Parts: sequence; C-alpha cells; structure tokens
Amino acid sequence: MNRTVVIGGGADALVAAQMLATAGREVLVIEGANAPQAEGWVPRQVLRALKLQGLELHWPDPWISVPLPGGGRLELWRDMARSAESIRRVSARDAQRWPQFCKRMARLARFLEVLYAEPPPDPLSAGFAWRARRLGGQGLEDLLRILPMPVAELLDDWFENDALKGALGGAGVLHLLQGPRSGGTAFRLLHHHVGCPPGVFRAPRSNVLELLRRLPRVELQGAAVQRVAVQAGAVAGVLLNDGRELEASMVVSSADPRRSLLEFIEPGWLDPELVRAVRHVRRRGVSARLRVQLDRSPGFGALAIAPSLDYLERAYDDAKHGGVSRQPYVEARCDEQHRLDVHIQYAAQGADCAKLGDTVLAMLSEHWGEAVPREGELLSPQELAQTEGWPEGQAHHAELALDQVLWMRPLPELARYRTPIEGLWLCGPAMHPGAGVAGAAGFNCAREILRR
Amino acid sequence: MRSFDAIIIGGGHNGLVCAAYLARAGRKVLVLERRERVGGAAMTEEVFPGFRFSVFSYVVSLLRPEIIRDLELPRHGLHILPLESTITPLENGDYLGQWNDHDQNRRELARHSLRDAEAYDEFGLMLHQMARAIKPLLGMAPPDPTSLSLANLSGMADLARHFRGLGGKRFHTLHKLLTMSSADFLDEWFENEALKATKSASGIIGTMLGPRSPGTAYVLLHHYMGELDGVFRAWGFAKGGNGSVSAAIAAAAQAAGAEIRCNAPVANVLVSRGRAKGVVLEGGEEIRAKIVVSGADPRRTFLQLVGEKHLPDEFVESIQRFRFRGSSAKVNLALGELPDFTCLPGRGAHLRGAFSISPSVAYLERAYDDAKYGEISRRPYMDIVIPSMLDPAMAPPGKHVMSIFVQYAPYHVSGGWTDARREALGDAVVDTLARYAPNLKSAILHRQVVTPADIERIVGLTEGNIFQGELSLQQMFFLRPAPSWAKYRTPLAGLYQCGAGTHPGGGVMGASGRNAARVILGAP
Repeated sequence: MNRTVVIGGGADALVAAQMLATAGREVLVIEGANAPQAEGWVPRQVLRALKLQGLELHWPDPWISVPLPGGGRLELWRDMARSAESIRRVSARDAQRWPQFCKRMARLARFLEVLYAEPPPDPLSAGFAWRARRLGGQGLEDLLRILPMPVAELLDDWFENDALKGALGGAGVLHLLQGPRSGGTAFRLLHHHVGCPPGVFRAPRSNVLELLRRLPRVELQGAAVQRVAVQAGAVAGVLLNDGRELEASMVVSSADPRRSLLEFIEPGWLDPELVRAVRHVRRRGVSARLRVQLDRSPGFGALAIAPSLDYLERAYDDAKHGGVSRQPYVEARCDEQHRLDVHIQYAAQGADCAKLGDTVLAMLSEHWGEAVPREGELLSPQELAQTEGWPEGQAHHAELALDQVLWMRPLPELARYRTPIEGLWLCGPAMHPGAGVAGAAGFNCAREILRR
Repeated sequence: MRSFDAIIIGGGHNGLVCAAYLARAGRKVLVLERRERVGGAAMTEEVFPGFRFSVFSYVVSLLRPEIIRDLELPRHGLHILPLESTITPLENGDYLGQWNDHDQNRRELARHSLRDAEAYDEFGLMLHQMARAIKPLLGMAPPDPTSLSLANLSGMADLARHFRGLGGKRFHTLHKLLTMSSADFLDEWFENEALKATKSASGIIGTMLGPRSPGTAYVLLHHYMGELDGVFRAWGFAKGGNGSVSAAIAAAAQAAGAEIRCNAPVANVLVSRGRAKGVVLEGGEEIRAKIVVSGADPRRTFLQLVGEKHLPDEFVESIQRFRFRGSSAKVNLALGELPDFTCLPGRGAHLRGAFSISPSVAYLERAYDDAKYGEISRRPYMDIVIPSMLDPAMAPPGKHVMSIFVQYAPYHVSGGWTDARREALGDAVVDTLARYAPNLKSAILHRQVVTPADIERIVGLTEGNIFQGELSLQQMFFLRPAPSWAKYRTPLAGLYQCGAGTHPGGGVMGASGRNAARVILGAP
C-alpha cells in the first residue's frame, strides 16, 4: 500500500499533503479536533508551488498601539512615515532613527526569509558563507552581532522611549520563557519581522488555511492518531483512536517531535541517545489566552500593554520562579465582530491562573472606552495544551531559542525533517523555520521527501 | 629625549605579557603604570598590618600554559598551589562537595544523586572535548568575516575547516554551549540543584546575566581549559597572592630587557598626522615610540587616551556601545580564627579549597533579579577562598585572610555607590555567610569591601568590569571590542590594543597580551 498519511490539520500539514499529492502520491490527512489558526507570513514559494490564489494577509493598521503614561497612544503603522510621526510625539530622536532602524532590520529579515523557505543550511558550507557575505559588510556584522543579543540591548542601542521599546520588545519574548534582557531575544524580533513590510514587527494572520482546505487532491479525515505502526524499522501504518488501522508506507507528522517519536512510535525503535535528546527539546508553555466578546468596537485593532522593557522583564521574573506575572504583558487583537483575542504572558506551567482573567480585564477596560464585555473565557497554558494542541502549552512546539533554530531545530539529528524510522517525517512548527511562518516547514519537508 | 620601539600603557598582566614577548624579540619596550606597582587587577597588597590580600583577582585558572613556558614564569617566582575542592553549603545544613580526587568526588556526588554521579564523567569528557575545540581559537587573531581581504578569507576558511574537523556531533554541542543558558545546558545533564547552581555560577561571573539567560553556558568551558593542559589544576592559588603572578611576568619582561616605570600615568596618546607617536604623561612629559600598545580597556583607550577626534565616527560609536556594566565586588576579611562551617565543622582539608554560596539556580536568579533593577543582591552569590590556609605567609601566625568574590553588585546601583552602600554590601555578604559559618562575625578583625566603583577608581577598569567589557556573545571574537578591529590593531596607525577588551579577553589568561605581541611582531 503506497499511501501517505499526514498527521495534523495545520498549514504545515496541509502544505506538505498538497505538495505530495501534486507529485502523484495518495495522501490522507488525519486532522485532530482542534482548529489551528494560520498565523504568520506565507512564503511565496509555497504559493507558487501550490498555485494558491486569493491569499489575504491581515495586519491591523496601526499594527500595534501602546497606551502612553500621560494618556494617548503611540501608534505604529504599516506606513513608516506615519509611525515616525507618532513616535515624534514622544521622542524626536527616536522618530529620526525609526526609518534607519526599519531599514537595517528589514535587510536581516530578508536574509532569514530566504533561509526559511528551504531546509536549514549547512553553517560551515562555502555556499552559506557566500550567501551571508552578500548581506554586505554592515549587514553581516549586524547579523552576527544582533542574533545573540538581548532585545533590550538592541533597542537601547537605538531608542530612548520606553513605550516604543516595550512595544518592540514584546516581539522578542512572544511565547518564550525569557525576558527582554536574555540573550537571543533580538533574534526573535527579527523572526517575527520576516515576511512583514519594513517597520512591521508582528506576524500577519491570513486565510491560507481556508485556501489550502479548498484545494482538491487530498482526503481529510477527522480522527486522532494513537500509534504509528513500525515494521522492520519502517512505517507500516497508522492506528487511530477509534480503533481503525490504516496501512501506509509513509507518515508525515506535524505533531511535536516528542509526541511523534516517543508517543506514536513503540518504544525500542529509537536509539536511547536520540530519545534522551528529544526529551530535552525545550517547549515550556508561557502564555495564557483570554477571549472576550465586546458589545462594540474597543477603538483599537491591536493593543499592547508593555509600557517598558523593565515591565516585561518583571513580568518574566514572576514566571521564572514558577508563577504568573502580577502585571502581565498583554497583547489584544480585535476583529470586526468585536471579538478580542488577548495574548497574556507570562503564566508558568501549572501556575494558578484563577485571577489572571480579572487582572487582564481590569487592565484592558481602561483602554476600550465605552465597550462592555459580554462574555469571556481564559485559557491557561494547560488548557491551551488541550484546545490548541500546543505541547505543554508552547505554541511553537519547540521554543524558538538560538540553540533550537536553523540546523539545530528541533535537534541536529532531525533538522532535515527525516527521522531514523524509514518513512516517518516531521513537518510541524517544531521544525525549521518554526512557528510564525505558515506552511514553510511543511513545504521544506515535502521537498526533502520528494528529493529522495 | 629617549625613544622606544614600543610603549605599553598599563602594567596589568596582559600589558606585561605583551612587553615580555616584545622585549624577548629584541624590541626596546617601556611599560608605563599609573599606580605605584604593576599588576593592575592582579596584585597583592598588605591592606591591614600583617594581612596580605589578592585585593581584586584572587585565583589562577586560565593563565595560558604556553605563556608560563615561554616566559619561564616558575623561574621568575610563579608558584601555583592547587585548590583541592569546592564546597557548596546547603540551606538544610548539609553540603555538596566537589573534589579533585576522582573517587572522592564520585562518592560525594552519589550521596546526593546517583544519576548525577553517573553522568559526571561523561559530562567532563564532553567539556574536555569542547575545550579542545575552542583552544586553538584562544591563540589566534580572529579573522574578520566582513572583510574580503585574502588574509581574512583564508582565516575564515581555516576556521570553517577547524569546525568541520570536529565532526557534526561536537560542532552541534559547541553550538549549544555558545547559545544556551548554563542552567538549561546543565538541566540536560544533572538533577541536583546545588551541583547545577555551583557549575552554572561560573557562567555568570563578571556579567550582568543570570544563569537562565542564554549565552552563559560556554563559560562552563573555562574551568576545563586549565585542566586540559595538565600544567596545573583548573583552579589554583598563586603563592604570595595574585600579585606574584604579575611580579613573575614583570620579572620575565625585565629580564628580557623591558623597562617598567610605575607612578607614570598616561594622560593621552600623542597623535600626529594620523599616527600614534608616543604618549604624554600626566606630568607633561612626552615619551616617543614607534608604536603604542594600550592595555587599558577599550573605552579608556579610545575615548579618553586617544580622543574621538582622531577616530572614525563608526568606530567611536562601536566603542560607545561596548558594554561594561560591572557586576562583581570583593570582600576581603582579616580573621582572628578560622570560620567554622555548620555543614563541615572544625578544621579540615575542605578549608584549603573554595566555598561557593550557590545552593540553587533559583538562588542565583534571585540574586540577579535584585541587580537587574539596580539593587545589591540581598542574598548574593559568593566564591570564597582562605588563602592563608594555602600560603601561611598571607596572614600573621594563627590568623587568616578570607577572600570573597561577590555577585551581584551592579556598577549602576540606584542612587550610586556611597560609603553607606559599600558597608551595606559588606553587611549583606557577612550576614549571608554567617548563616553557614556562625562564628564568622566574631572572627572578623578587619573588613575591606571593594565595589565596582572602587575597581574603576583604583584599577582603572571602566564601570568596574573585571573582564574589560562583558564577555557576551555579541562582544566576543571578531566583535571584541569592535567589528573589523578585533585583531589588536586600531584605526589609528601605530596604536595597538593588548588588554582583556580584545579577544579572547577576561580572566588572568594573558592570551590577549600574547596575541597582540604576535601581531605586532608580524607572526602569521
């Protein structure tokens, strides 16, 4: 039986499934119960390969608003000049530096953009060196200096205004159990910048999932995978929770590596050293989510409460010691139906989130004017693990830290999407390039499969 | 007026090493030291009558073996006494000991965690391999990846070949060491909190980072570098204090013909027609030389001694953003009797080793939390040795000296450093330590507290940073101290740098001084 089973219904899984089906394979997608959101930029290589048309990317405009201590808001727009205008009200110096900052960051993001739409590079190859060189002297220097930096140092180098630094610093720590003063967070700012217009540092949302689901060629089934059957070191089929057994010669899993390798596979097929390494992939959940229905528009599309880098750092301190931020970093997005989707950070795993919802509602109510909340729901990291399928509540499946990116993602042994089990491949957000780039890991994985 | 081939600004250990190598190559060298004696931060002083202290830097672990060999330092008086152990007292009255004796160490670890005892050898082997992988880099002038010159391109190619030669597995481990936090890295190996904390403490020394911050893991290596070369054990104490390290290097330099002048503070570097021509002393005296080599830190060298107007804007900007942020202090105690540790009462071999106040990673993180917002750690991390146990000449008979390295004491403490603050730091240190050694307070005869502000004022290290600039990834290798100027040369012709503010920086290692001398002498 020459069937390929793709596990998961996210953008990565669907892109991989479509790529394989286009190449003539029989593909069955097993979707879980949770409906994943397509967050992030979609590489144009993916669009081209699948001939996807009608892609819409949504950024609120301004893409972020930050309440200012003296009233009013700092607003960052897609239009760089308009952002500079808003920044000028808090700091003329920062406004003057904004375009240059955006230009320098955009150059680095473009470099990453290329790396993200292909399997991870070999860092010691001449080809990689050559490409890095093409950034130019200044660009290469920026890249090597900025990647390991704390985002706080990067922003302190450029700007003086706390509100501006807080808004940008948030992108450095999104879904990460680190504060802005931790090394490697400047890279995160760039990661969320990839694929965005210059001056926009938040990933867009898109309709890519709908487009992918509308494509023919692939069968979708709602079910949950219990086991991947292995015979003689090769994939033989898939056992579903409802007891059905499906034969398959290939399984492409968008579940996180620990689940794919240590839960789906019978113990014993893998080298103990790899098992140990897989267990060490860090994926600590750090965020909670609040969903609120308002009766009218709150007067913002995206609002961040992160008044300064120190504020973010203190929020992190609480979670570092196992608790919930007393004053959390909050980022709220509102859609046309006045539904607020609120990202709350930090909430350490297992911490008591009982009061968090009220804390955040109280914080937000100062900023939504006359609006009245109708109903709301808070999801703790544990609940997010259930509803969203995020392992341990970690949206990125494997934390996007410098030791878990590119050729290290999620582990050097697995970085090229292959596993030691013949026919088992990995394609989820835990794989290069990681979460925030919709479909890229699936695209890269499928290309690796087809290359063979 | 006399003229020299080279003037070295600053008689710290790197300046002296550089001077010794240049003199041995036949150059006419003059070392100018601001203070009344050489040594910089590596010096011994009789602070209280009869009590001698390594006032600042207090142990030797990294001094490059090739320097010891080349300069024949033992012949010039260097004698290293090994520190046999590190004891971490625990809050429950127990302790965790790490001993140089392999079997003893294993038994002790097994008492706390069988798993950790099992993992320990493999961990040591891994770090040993990593130290080997890094070692060749310490002795090289870092190639500049942004340059297209033939020398740099071939340097980068050599580097790539070196890393390729490590094989995938080791290269990836090295990647992890460079990018991970020491706590995360150690979590993959060990379970005992005190063991993880004591090991990760080496990663935070001299930085404004906590053990959970990425970029702190690679310093774990430093402890294995010394062991690697088999010259002496990873940690040692120089007989006569760390001043005797400087004295030995100075003697070697003088024996090779270098001239050393103390009480000769340099006011500025003499620049004419875009070239360093010599120096002007604070008294107004001008001394000329073909080249000037600065052992001072980058900010002091370029922004004070040279001056912005002689340097390109871009370079000045790089130096201005080079981060110092000293975070370490020293407390030196003169003791009437030995401390009596609750966890290991009485006298014993343990008093000849080090003590680490690092009961858990969370303890270190909390110490860091205070410092992040400009406060002194209420419960600081401390590394303690009792030098008089190894070298009785350090204190009067029957009495002792204790050296306490303290972190965090941020240079940028809110409200600035005052006498009251200094004493508050001393109190926090003594109070914390007295919890583990209750007789400490009554044993203290004298107390000296050295804050980062004191280090800056006395030794001249900007912001009191003991490494002449933070050893964070973005300030290392070809970025130390500024991109394109990491090869000991500077934008000012005739001016070189040889301090710890250049690659590889930090610790009483001497590698910067040696590398600089090799560049000056035109070695490949």
